[in-house]
Amino acid sequence: MNSNGVRRWLAAACAAGLSAATGSMAQEFQDNVVIVLDASGSMKDPMPGASDGNKMAAAKIALRTVLQQVPETTHIGLLVFSARGIRDPWVYPLGPRNTPALLEAIDRIEPYGNTPLGQYLKLGADRLLQERTRQYGYGSYRLLVVTDGEAQDQDLVTRYTPDIISRGITMDVIGVAMNRDHTLARKAHSYRRANDSAALQTAVAEVLAEVSRPRSDVAQNVEFDLLAPIPDEVAAAALQALSTSGNHPIGTSPRSGPSARPRVDPDRTPPTAQQPAAPAPPAPHHQRKKPAINITYIVTALVVLSFVGRLFRSRRR
Amino acid sequence: MCLAVAAGIGLAPWKAGAQETRFADLVGPGAVGAVTATAPLQVPFITWGGDMATFYANGGLTTRPGSLFQKQNLNLRLVPADDFIQQVRDYRAGKTPFLRGTYHMVGLASEVIGSDPRTKGVVILQMTWSAGDHLVARDNLRTLSDLKGKTVALQQCGPHVGMLDDVLRSAQLSWNDIKVVWTKDLTGTAEAPSEMFRKRADIDACFAITPDMVGLCGGLANTGTGAEGTVKGARVLVSTAQLSRSIADVYVCRKDFYDANKEMVTRFVAAYLKACEEIVDLKRQYESAGSPRYKELLQLTQDIYGKKTIPVLDDAHGLLADCTFVGYPGNVAFFLEAGNLNGFEAFQKSALDLAVTRGYARDRMGLFPSGLDYQSPLFLNLLTKTQVERGERFRAEAVRTEIEQLSAGGGLDDRTILSFTISFEPNQTEFSAVQYGAEFQRVVETAARFGNAVVAIRGHADPTKTLLDLVKAGMTRGVLKRVGTQGNYSYSINGKPLDLANTPELTRLIESGAFDGVPDNNPRETMQAALNLSRSRAEAVLNSIVDYAKGKGITIDKTQIQPVGVGIREPFVAKPGNMDEAKKNMRVEFRIVRVAAEASKQADFDF
Repeated sequence: MNSNGVRRWLAAACAAGLSAATGSMAQEFQDNVVIVLDASGSMKDPMPGASDGNKMAAAKIALRTVLQQVPETTHIGLLVFSARGIRDPWVYPLGPRNTPALLEAIDRIEPYGNTPLGQYLKLGADRLLQERTRQYGYGSYRLLVVTDGEAQDQDLVTRYTPDIISRGITMDVIGVAMNRDHTLARKAHSYRRANDSAALQTAVAEVLAEVSRPRSDVAQNVEFDLLAPIPDEVAAAALQALSTSGNHPIGTSPRSGPSARPRVDPDRTPPTAQQPAAPAPPAPHHQRKKPAINITYIVTALVVLSFVGRLFRSRRR
Repeated sequence: MCLAVAAGIGLAPWKAGAQETRFADLVGPGAVGAVTATAPLQVPFITWGGDMATFYANGGLTTRPGSLFQKQNLNLRLVPADDFIQQVRDYRAGKTPFLRGTYHMVGLASEVIGSDPRTKGVVILQMTWSAGDHLVARDNLRTLSDLKGKTVALQQCGPHVGMLDDVLRSAQLSWNDIKVVWTKDLTGTAEAPSEMFRKRADIDACFAITPDMVGLCGGLANTGTGAEGTVKGARVLVSTAQLSRSIADVYVCRKDFYDANKEMVTRFVAAYLKACEEIVDLKRQYESAGSPRYKELLQLTQDIYGKKTIPVLDDAHGLLADCTFVGYPGNVAFFLEAGNLNGFEAFQKSALDLAVTRGYARDRMGLFPSGLDYQSPLFLNLLTKTQVERGERFRAEAVRTEIEQLSAGGGLDDRTILSFTISFEPNQTEFSAVQYGAEFQRVVETAARFGNAVVAIRGHADPTKTLLDLVKAGMTRGVLKRVGTQGNYSYSINGKPLDLANTPELTRLIESGAFDGVPDNNPRETMQAALNLSRSRAEAVLNSIVDYAKGKGITIDKTQIQPVGVGIREPFVAKPGNMDEAKKNMRVEFRIVRVAAEASKQADFDF
């Protein structure tokens, strides 16, 4: 499919999706997509069908083409790891589409480093969970991973991925010209192989179109007999468990993170058209420091020692 | 409201358990006399915060030099008139041209005063709305609908008769749906509703003024514990703090006096409204940094009512806090605004309906609206707060946050005063007035009556598709095993039957993501779609209600109405067995909800 074909298909899918899903009802909340883009050095490798030959060039073309077409109700964030000279990995913080800024952000990306995918999965998912809190739980939340290789922090990928999925974040993965399927292919909601430039463009378009696909809360063929053996109380408990997946940070328990239920910080800035501030980039996996000794403990210890010293001195007097 | 009206009716030929007595019989026979003594002119007052503006405008019981009334060339003598029946006698005899009471109280007297052209009543001034009258109930009553079949104590002919009428209409109940225990007094005696409620377990609810409510419950948002004189489980079922358009305090003028002295009447009203303007400013100053002049008003109030009624100055402040002034803009809205569901015509109708249907009057004898020229220099040269456009009543974002948190966190039931629902069909996206006109009208009227409460519109969805996706995803992932044939299936998890005993394991697996990741059967995605669609449906219902109201010439304050999506979280039938059961879950629920004071916008006047 050429780029014009992708554009027409995507536009039609988006338009049909919105109208079919909500009919005459206005949509008061946003669909949210965070794209985690691998800018590791291997993305400089050749890509069949790309204009200047490498995978990153193909990825840029795909993103430029497709992201310009997404509906205004879709908020986009572009999170890049290992790109040359980019300190803030949120080259485009999650928010409404501003096409010139988005295109400029895509153009800046140059492949360079390694593949700390696990950290960035968490970073992207945590940002989506923050947004879900802000939107009182409404909307949709999607993490699109575009990568050409296995993560170097595989332990984090293994740890975070089930947590991300169990929070109701849909995870899509596109494997760019990989010799074999990515490990996430068996864990994510969808996996697409993009072995050439056109396939990559189509894969990105398909995922973005999925964001605004018409969704119904009513089953087409209602098979009540499938549910009949389930006790009412068990069904009620299942519904409750599905409804309360929590917005606390990935990899933490509900108690250590923000509230499990969608709540809003009363001091938060009200929604504006401004870009949200990008979270600080995580420390590189190999550079993470051991937790520093809490300064409070040190001060407390010094105070206690000083007090004990005085006590001894006074007793001696 | 009204410590006043209470005591007055207490003098009437009341007997325990009596049904409503015709008001003419309470007043008794008497000749109509002309108002001859006009210097000073006698003006009745009762025990109510709104009357503090009368004291302020007069400078005392007699008009003081330099006072607002004196500057309007008025010479008045304020007289206590908590005995409403005696007030009506004095009014008829010509001792005063004025009646002072609530609109519904005047409505009860409408036949007596309307039967002679000289004493027909002209409502010349709305003073306040009540914010300090309460219906206190035992803990088995959660919403107004629970009043059906219950026993309610209130004062015979008192100010709460109209409030109860409003409460019953809001819950779509009639007087025949409840049992009434009439009491002799409003407060302060063993025969007041609050004391009867304490003594008699068969009384499920009673009306009370603020001090009595605090005595029963411990506070507006509290529940009695049984300690410190409170009644265990007693809580406020509804209050004029939310039902803020139920009790209107007014002055009524005799028609003959009004026709002969319309300018004087205008000056009286204008000076009263000026007093309101100054008091709202002084009160604000007092609450932020103190105000000697406001303190003088509190002292004046204590001097007039006496220390028995106002033991300390803070009680006078509390008396004022139990009402809200409507000011000039409120009077313009009350008498002139077309389509005002809380305006003169609406009150006229409900007050006369109540008087006639309950037997206080045999014939409908209407009152006249003020007929004053609100563009007159007598008003506009004196007053400064004359902006008549209504602003938004609530802080929209604060309301949204509070309602969403209550809805998701399970605290909504405790804040719900009233609820009712409508149903919809699968995939329905439009909610027309043709189909839902009666419910929309109820929402519009209820929102108007409960001016300080929020209407939460909560969309619910049927969970059948989510459950089916859960089952299919579980089987695809191998988490859930199914055996048997159609009509005779059974499920197991980890080799154990899927039954109540295995529920914690099912919950754990769901929370761990064991049912996620199947593209075509993603229960979490279906749940999210249901949540989003239910929010959109609630929003669509809101828009339809706004359009419906606009078509009726009624303006809706959208900040008072909050759409919420509940999705599948609170199904009526958790596991539907057929489409009829599934449809029971497809509903939009309306709830009248108490919200925190911080959610309301502060304004000089409440109208």
